[in-house]
Amino acid sequence: MSRALTWRAVLVWAALAALPALPFMSKFYLLLAFDALLFGAIAMSLDLLMGYTGLVSFGHAAFFGLGAYATAVLLERGIVSLWVCLLFAVLVVGLYALVVSYFSTARRGIYFALLTLIFAEVVYTFFRYTQTFGGSDGIQGLPAPSLAPGFAIDTPLRNYYLVLVYLGLAYLVCRILVTAHFGRVLVAIRENEDRARFLGYNVQRYKMAVCMISALITGLGGALYPGRSAFATPDLMLWTVSGELIIMVMIGGLGTLVGPVIGGAFFVLLQEKVSSYVDWYFIVIGLVLIFIVLFMPRGLLGIRGLLGGRRWRATA
Amino acid sequence: MARDGVVLEIDSVSKSFGALAALSSVSLAVQAGQIFSVIGPNGAGKSTLFNVVSGLHVPTRGRIRFRGRDIGGLEPEQINRLGVAKTFQITNIFPEISVFENVRVAAQSRARESGRLASLWRQPDVEGAASELLQAFGLAARRDEPAENLSHGEQRYLEICLALATEPTLLLLDEPTAGMTPGETREATALIRRIATARGLTVLLIEHDMSVVMGISDRIAVLHFGEKIAEGAPEQIRNDPNVIEAYLGPPDA
Repeated sequence: MSRALTWRAVLVWAALAALPALPFMSKFYLLLAFDALLFGAIAMSLDLLMGYTGLVSFGHAAFFGLGAYATAVLLERGIVSLWVCLLFAVLVVGLYALVVSYFSTARRGIYFALLTLIFAEVVYTFFRYTQTFGGSDGIQGLPAPSLAPGFAIDTPLRNYYLVLVYLGLAYLVCRILVTAHFGRVLVAIRENEDRARFLGYNVQRYKMAVCMISALITGLGGALYPGRSAFATPDLMLWTVSGELIIMVMIGGLGTLVGPVIGGAFFVLLQEKVSSYVDWYFIVIGLVLIFIVLFMPRGLLGIRGLLGGRRWRATA
Repeated sequence: MARDGVVLEIDSVSKSFGALAALSSVSLAVQAGQIFSVIGPNGAGKSTLFNVVSGLHVPTRGRIRFRGRDIGGLEPEQINRLGVAKTFQITNIFPEISVFENVRVAAQSRARESGRLASLWRQPDVEGAASELLQAFGLAARRDEPAENLSHGEQRYLEICLALATEPTLLLLDEPTAGMTPGETREATALIRRIATARGLTVLLIEHDMSVVMGISDRIAVLHFGEKIAEGAPEQIRNDPNVIEAYLGPPDA
C-alpha cells in the first residue's frame, strides 16, 4: 500500500471517529450514521461474494436477520453480555450458513442466487408466520446489551462507536482475505471457474469458505442491530433487504470493498433524506439508481478510476 | 504393474456417451521424459482421451495409472495435484486479470499454504516462479496487461504457462498450436521441446496436424474412430498404410 493511501485511510478513520463531535450530530443523526456504517459493512461482506468470487447471493437478509434474532432472543431472556450475544449469533448464523453454502455452491450462476433466496425465504416464513419468535411483531422492547457488567451500550454514541469498531475489524478481515492466497483464488474462480479446477483448486471448498465468511460478517452485523433498535422483526430478513444489499454493492463498485461501504452508506442516507420529504421516495431512489447504473456502471468508486484511467476492479 | 519409467499408462480404456463409443479399448504407455503424441482426424477421440486422463470424464471401462496410481474417475483438481497439468485447445485463461496474476494464481496452487488455513491470510512467495515462466515464454514485457488483451499466439503461450506453473510431471497439451500461423507453429514447437527437456517433463500431445508432431515426438499413437490403429516412432507412422488410409481415405475410393 502506498504512503498516500495509508494517509488517506488514517484520515478517513479519524474523520469517522470524530464525526459525533460535529455540532449537528443529534441522537437521530448518530443512529442514522450507525445504519450507514452497519449496512456499509454488510454490503462489503457481500462484495466478497459478488465482486471477488462472482457469486450473487440473494439471501443475505437471512444472515442479517438471524444474527439480529440471536441477540434478541438472549436479550429478551436477560442475557445482556454483548460477547455472549455475538458468540451465539456466530453459532446460529454459522450453522445456517453451513447448510446454505453447502447446497448453494453446488450450483452456479442463477441457480446459486435462487438457492440462497429460497433458503432465506424459508427462514423468513418461519419467523413471520409461526409464533415461535413473536410472529410478525418479532421481539420488541429489548434491553441494551452490555460490553462489561455496568457498561451498557445504551446510547446512540456508544452504539455508533461499536459499529465503527465492527466496520474497522470487518474491513481488516476482508482486506487481508482478498490480498492473500485465498482472495487470488476467489478472483480466479470469478474469472474462470473450470480453469481454476484444472490448476488444482477445489473450487467448491473455496466457494463454501467465502460464503461462510461473508455470512458470518453479515450475521455479526445483524447481532449489533437489536442494541440500536431494541427489536428484531421478520422484516429484517425480507427478500427486499437482500435486494437492497445487492444494490449497495452495485452502486458502490464491485470488487473494491471500499466501494460497497460507500454504496451502503449512500443508500441509507439517500433513503432517509428522500423519505423525510416525500412519501413516494422509492421512485426517487429508483431514478437515482437507474442513473448510477446507466452512467456509472463501475459504481461511485469507479468515478475515480474513470478519471485516472486506473483499473477499477479487484485483481488477484 | 508400475513398470519403471512408465509415467502414464492407459490400459484398455473405453468411453461411451450413450450409444456413441468415443474410445474403444485404447491402451498406451508414456515413458518418463518422452514427448508422446496422439494424432488422428477430427472426431477420432483424441479430446475424449485427454478428458478421461485429466478428470473431466470418468472412463466407462479400463484403467488409467499415473506413476502407478489409479487416477480414473478422480476430480480434475485431484489429478492436477498429483502432477498432471492440462492445456486447452480453446484458450482457457483468466481474461480480466493481468498476465502476471494469471500465472501467479496458478503457481500458488503448489505453495505450502495452498489448501491450508494459512491461505486465508498468507501471500505465498511465488512471484519469482511466475516471472521466470513469463520470461521463458517471452511474455515478460506483457506482464501487467489484462490477459484478454494478448494476441492469440501470446494467449496460447499463457495457456502453457498456467499449466507449467503447477509444476507438473506430466503435461497434457491439447493442440497447443491451434490457430497459429506456420511460422508461429514452428517456433512454438521448438519452444515446447526445449522447455520439456529443460524441466524433465513428460509430454502427452494431441494434434491433428501431422506436420507438427513429426518434428518433436519421440513416439506417436494414431486414433481413428475411437480406436488405436497404429503406434510407433514418427518414421514408422509416416509410412504406415493404415494411417495414410485414415487420413486420406482408402486407396481406391
